[in-house]
Amino acid sequence: MVGPTASLTPLSRADGSASYQCPSTGSNILGSVNAPIELPGRRDALRPEDATVEVFVKPGTAPGGVGERYVEGIIKNMLTKLILGREKGYARRGVVITLAIVGGESVGRGDSYLTLLPALLHTALLALLSASVPLSMTFSATVLAVDASGKITREPSPKEAATATSLHVFAFSSNGHLLLSESQGPFEFKTWENVHQRALAICHGTLARSSDGDVAMAEDVDGQPLEGALREVVEDKIHLDYAWKIDAP
Amino acid sequence: MNKEAPLSIAERDFILNALREDVRLDGREADQFRPLNVSFGEEYGHVKIQLGKTSLIVRISSEVTKPHDDRPFDGIFTIALELTAMGSPAWENGRQGDLESYVSNVLDRVIRHSNALDTESLCVLKGVSCWSIRADVHITDYDGNLIDAACIGIMAGLQHFRRPDAVVKDGQVIVYGVDERVPVALNITHKPLSITFHTFDEGKRVILDATRKEEQASEADVLIGLNNAGDVCYISKFSGFPVDAMVFVNKSSVALEKVKEINNIIDKALQADLTKRAKTALVEESRAANDR
Repeated sequence: MVGPTASLTPLSRADGSASYQCPSTGSNILGSVNAPIELPGRRDALRPEDATVEVFVKPGTAPGGVGERYVEGIIKNMLTKLILGREKGYARRGVVITLAIVGGESVGRGDSYLTLLPALLHTALLALLSASVPLSMTFSATVLAVDASGKITREPSPKEAATATSLHVFAFSSNGHLLLSESQGPFEFKTWENVHQRALAICHGTLARSSDGDVAMAEDVDGQPLEGALREVVEDKIHLDYAWKIDAP
Repeated sequence: MNKEAPLSIAERDFILNALREDVRLDGREADQFRPLNVSFGEEYGHVKIQLGKTSLIVRISSEVTKPHDDRPFDGIFTIALELTAMGSPAWENGRQGDLESYVSNVLDRVIRHSNALDTESLCVLKGVSCWSIRADVHITDYDGNLIDAACIGIMAGLQHFRRPDAVVKDGQVIVYGVDERVPVALNITHKPLSITFHTFDEGKRVILDATRKEEQASEADVLIGLNNAGDVCYISKFSGFPVDAMVFVNKSSVALEKVKEINNIIDKALQADLTKRAKTALVEESRAANDR
């Protein structure tokens, strides 16, 4: 299984940005984060002590519609809980996340965004890290398709997703806690259990938890766990940025 | 917000005084473009434009729809440009600003209304079905001269794009997949591009391809849209200080030269991409897995 490729801070105007490509679904997402920025008045009236998170999903080849607004809601709900909006300088400010689908097949009118959701979430996370927005934890997400025979496909292509009976998106925190579970189509509870197990293995590898709660990541059929892949992208970038300091005698 | 942070007075004066001595901030000549890079993605009609620090992505897509009732022989061509917070923190998501409507209007005038894409060739069955071509412009970095960059992107995209083949059989429209039949290139009648000039010092200094800071310091802009043959399809002097009529006369010949230059760059990039595609296609075809 080929892991995703991503790069941090490809753009110069935005505070933080990330580009993310998932080879199996073929999606290519460009994300940018502007934070903390001044928002026009009255939008922060409800929670003056917290930052306002705004998510905008821009489809690649179609005008935005209900589908985008819905997936924006899912991403926003999840990220609002991770972003430490009460940190110094963030209260009453905005964290504006813009995600543009710049490559791969577009989601058809009225189709669900579940196949793209993990890519969107990962892009948002990397862009937030690139903008140095304080977060309480990182996460990784994956999408799984279950077909009529009960076979589970990891990160299905648009064609595979169309023939699947049910689609499931899971996001796990860096400690392996379930953060998000979105499903579509009919399925039994047992199927969900199976899919959940598989998703956890994809994101974190086969779990081997040591006594101090640390999660050791191991590779298996799914290749490198996603959590590790994302971590490596950030590590590489930091290594590159601090080369002057690291290599100095 | 929806407005870039204004320049300080000192910065404005610095740019202006430097221009009076024929010096630009980035060391360019007055009639010189920033380095332009045109690259194509994997799909047809996916173009990345990098003009100095301004960068954008254009995606062209097609679908079969019903033509407008009053124009049964014409296909539909739309240019969709939406400014998001990605390009500049000053732009607000989901809210149309002045710049957005201005740029969309100019792009419509230069490319769509000059009939660069022959919409009649998009007709499949009179009054029943036609192709709808959509050009989506995603601005990823904004550092001035959005209009010219977007124009280059859309024109390169239209020339690069291939739509699926469609055939009418016994009154039925059959659309062949990209792997069933060789997809068809769009019918481009001419290749118009816009060239933007900015004036300074009461119209005495005129520069080409201004960066964001130069744009902010300028007094007025002059826009000339023309094609390789020198046919002017759009001229505008949208706002700001008055500009001498001779500027239009003199600068249109400069613009023509630039349009030819840029069209050359686009053609070269297209050729390079086509030969690359032809090679990979041959490799695909000669693979052992295929029938012979």
